[in-house]
Formats: sequence, C-alpha cells, structure tokens
Amino acid sequence: MKILVSFKSVRDPSDVTVAGAAISTPKSVINPFDEIAIEEALRIRERGQAMEIVGVTIGAPPVDEQIRTALAMGVDRAIRIDDSRVLDPYAVARILGAVVKKEAPRVVIMGKQAVDDDSNQVGQMLAGLLGWPQATFVSKIEFLDDKTRARCTRETDAGLEVVEVNLPSIITTDLRLNEPRYVSLPGLIKARHKPIEVLTCDQLGVIVRPLTTVLSVERPPKRAVGTRVESVEELITKLKQEAKVL
Amino acid sequence: MDFAWSDQQRELLDAVGRFASHQLNYNVIENDRDGVFNHDAWKKCGSFGIQGLPVPTEYGGLGMDPLTTVAALERLGYACKDNGLLFSINAHLWTAVTPLVYNGSEAQKKKYLPGLCNGTLIGGNAMSEPNSGSDAFSLATTASKKGSRYIINGSKIFVTNGPVADLLVVFATVDKTRGPDGISAFLVEKDSPGMNVARKLEKMGVRTSPMAEVFFENCEVPEENLLGKEGGGAFLFTRSMTWERGCILASAVGTMQRLLETCIRYANERKQAGQSIGKYQLVASKIVDMKVRVESSRHMLYHYGWLSGHRKAVYLEAAMTKLHIADCWVKCCEDAIQIHGGYGYMTEYEVERELRDAIGSKLYSGTSEIQRNIIASMLGL
Repeated sequence: MKILVSFKSVRDPSDVTVAGAAISTPKSVINPFDEIAIEEALRIRERGQAMEIVGVTIGAPPVDEQIRTALAMGVDRAIRIDDSRVLDPYAVARILGAVVKKEAPRVVIMGKQAVDDDSNQVGQMLAGLLGWPQATFVSKIEFLDDKTRARCTRETDAGLEVVEVNLPSIITTDLRLNEPRYVSLPGLIKARHKPIEVLTCDQLGVIVRPLTTVLSVERPPKRAVGTRVESVEELITKLKQEAKVL
Repeated sequence: MDFAWSDQQRELLDAVGRFASHQLNYNVIENDRDGVFNHDAWKKCGSFGIQGLPVPTEYGGLGMDPLTTVAALERLGYACKDNGLLFSINAHLWTAVTPLVYNGSEAQKKKYLPGLCNGTLIGGNAMSEPNSGSDAFSLATTASKKGSRYIINGSKIFVTNGPVADLLVVFATVDKTRGPDGISAFLVEKDSPGMNVARKLEKMGVRTSPMAEVFFENCEVPEENLLGKEGGGAFLFTRSMTWERGCILASAVGTMQRLLETCIRYANERKQAGQSIGKYQLVASKIVDMKVRVESSRHMLYHYGWLSGHRKAVYLEAAMTKLHIADCWVKCCEDAIQIHGGYGYMTEYEVERELRDAIGSKLYSGTSEIQRNIIASMLGL
C-alpha cells in the first residue's frame, strides 16, 4: 500500500524553546497537524501495512528544509510543487488532486488544518474533487478487510464517532492521533540521499484560479495595560461600568 | 582553518538544539537535588545519535569529524540544562567509546560499539585510585594472567557512571616493576564476578551524573577483553585523555553561551534606581567579560577540533583548551550569580546549579594544575 502525506510549511508556533535562551530568527516548521499525519503514516508502515510513503508539499526552495525533516522522520521520497504564490485551499486541493492522480496512493493523510490560516478545507475539497470518501478529525485509524476499508475514530463535539471508509480515501488528522517522533541524526543523514522531485503546476496540468482573495491582514489590537484594583467591590464596579461584562 | 558550517553541518547542529531543548530539560532541579541520573534522557540521546557522533558508521555511529562533533556537543550544552547528563555522556564518549574505536579489536568493536552508540549500553572508565590521582600511572590495581583469563584485584575511586555502567575500561598493572609499561586496559562488563560497585559518591555538582567507588576482588576477565596490548594501557590512557581534554568541555561552551544570554536578558529587564541594571557599567563589564570568555573558549575548542580532524598533534592544544574553558566556565557562573544578585543564589533560578556543576571541570580529566604542568613541559620547561 502506498500512502501520500501532504504537509505545509508554517512559521514555528513555539519559536523559543530553551527557557532562558532566546533563539532569535523565526523558523519554519512542518505544520504540527501534518507532522501527526507523517507520524501516522510511519506507524502504519512499521505495522507492516504500507510499503511506501510519499511526501508532498507546495512551495519555493526554502521549504526543502521541511521536506528534509519529513524525509529524516522516515518518509521515503518527496515531491515539491514549485510555487511561491499564496494559494487558497481550493488551489491547494486541485494541485494535490493532480499529484494523487499521478501517484495513485491508497490513502492520503494530512493534518486537519494548518496552524497559520486555520482553513480546514483542503482535505474535504480534495476528497470532493477526487470523488473519494473522507474521514476528518481522526484520532485513530485501523485498516480492515485486507486494507480495502479503514475504520477511523473522529473527534466531534458530540463525542468519538467511528466511521468506516472504503479505500482509496482521504484522512485528516486530529491532535490526539499520536505524538510525532523527533528527527534523529542518523535519520537526517539518510534523508540526504532520498530523492526530492520538483514539479510545477504546468507539468501537472493545473491552472490555479483562486476562489478567494485576501483583502487585508491586520495585527490584533494591542491589549491595554491592566490596572490593579484595591477591593472586590471595586472590581465588580469596574466589570459592570467599564468592561460592561456583568 | 575554516569554521564556517556547511548547510549539512548547520542542519545537524539545529537538529541537536531542537532535540535537546524539547526532550532533555525536565525534572532537572529535582534530579540535581536528589542525585538522580536521567536514564530515559540517556536513551533518548542514544536513539537521537549523540553517543554515536564520533564513531565510524560501520559500528553504528555517525562518523562525524572532531570539529563537527565538538560543535554538536556545544549545541547540546546550549540547549540541555542537565550538566550531569552531559558529563556522563562525555565520560562515556571519551573514556570508553574512543579507546574502543582506536584500540579495540574488530570483535570488541562489533560487540560493544553499536550498543554504546544507540543508548542501550553505558560506558565509563576506572583509573583513579585512593592513592593515585594526578600521578595516575602509579596505580596499585593488579591484573595477573591465569590460563585464558586475567584476575583483577584492587580498588578504584571517582568512577563516573560507575553505578549505572554496563562496561568499564579498567586500568591495572600486569607487572608493577615495569612502571607505566606494565599498565594494561581491560573491558569489564557489569556484574562480572568479583567486581563490586561499592558505594555511590555524593558530590557538589553534576549531581545527576552518578559516580562510584568500585572494588575488584579476584575479578575474572576473559583474555579477549584485554583492550589494546598488554602493557599498552598507559599509551591508551594518554590518548584517551587527550581526546577527553579537548572535547569534554565542548558542552560547557554552549552552557556559557546560554548563561550569557540569560544574563543579558535579566540585565535588560531588571530595573534598579530607575534604569536597567545593564546600564550600570559594573554589570555591563561583567557581561562583556562573559562574552569574551565564551568567544575565546569557542575558538580554542574549534581550533582543537580542526587540528584533531586534520590529524595534527593536539596534546598541547587539548590541555590548553581544557584549562582555558574550565577557568572561563567557573568565572562565567560566578558572574552570572552576581548579576542575578540574591535571585541567582536561589535554586529555582537555575544559576547557582551552574556554578556547582562548573567547579568540577577544574578537577576532572586532570586538574588545572596538571594541565599547566603539561603545557609547561611542552614549552620545554
């Protein structure tokens, strides 16, 4: 069985990691939900249920760093769609759709959303474009009946929902599916010899037509400096009169 | 000499920093207080690849050159706050792993190195004795050949990793009358009959690195566990000590860099009499001294690494590197406490521990006085 994992390069949400030592330059990392998708693919292979894991991402050459991380974790080979434009979820889904047709995987696993734009649409759109079943927000995956179906546990507001999908299908991962492994130095060295195929939208025959346009991006308003109150009464008065929350 | 990192080296160093800052900094205060070795962190370091850094790939290592190795250990020291764990890793690397790489038989390397690299085995050495420390070659532990075995008798002290070690490189003399030429090295496995890890030693710093006194009473070791040649122990020890002196404080350079950054941040944040304390020249001057110490230490370390990797003689450079970094480390820690004032003296601020951890560096791998003796002798004095 071949698994395709797609991942997005995002700004490191944790940034500073050592208490007492500021690591200055903001770094890019694999979107944490996609990292969970990669980890799950690796575990499926380690259980003997997959033969090959192909990673795919879209971006300019700097994302090769995140590709090497994926390869170092254990992904067998990678495809980078060389495109530096800001793409909306529909465009990403169409590009990934073309890659899926080229690679013909049995399962596509990806994060439920990216932590930078929180769109949460690519997996669903990709399933729609391909006409494949989808299992989203998944916290457990089991393959059944000689890998013709997958039983997935979904995390919903109502509780844990168990669904079965026929393969091939799209699975998007939730936070509690697994804890991704860290990249080891031997993995990093092995990754240097793993192939990265670079393709363009032209080569895939995809013409990107954005459906959404970002009009503006603004910083959230700065928080006002807090004040210290002397008593509970004063706090309640302020909550009523100034904050108007009571 | 070129200390500009290639993309591959930079990638490796970044990976070390990320790994260490995410995986190794838990329970450090508690483990220091209770003298607990973090076995789990040791295993993580093994599977990550730290213990295999300088070991050839055919024995399960990464085959890194000395310069890359010391730079990786420096980054480890920057990102990992458990100096005891780093001390244990260093003892393992330079007193057990390196002698095996350079003096081990093919069978010995195949048997032990993969486990020593991947974190399943812990190594150390047993050289110092109650009556022979700086005068190491006057050791009294004996090894006598009996058939196909050696029988070891004697006692060893300050055995780093002793309480947890799976494999010790034990130095003993096969013939006291031959002086240094009688000294031989043996690979002694944990639980060998006659070997007794007598007591765990309490100490001032690097408390998360366990240390023991070890007794040998008719301890039988098969002859294939002789490391190097019979009588070759003094040469082996000198070579291993040169590696150790050059590399053991690589992580301390990273630690100093972290302390420097901590102090700069604190000096900018802490205000007294209406201004940041960093604006006071007496505080700024301490931080400037710290910066110069970090940079000079780093350059000596890289210089040593470069020479060692280019197969140049490094006996003198190793001693100078060790002497200089140990001095700088202790002074940096003193300054860091002084800059933090009363808070720096408090355990929870994690500055006082750094000083306790640093002081041992003037004692182990040859005291600072011994390093000066070596340097003097190399200068023809």
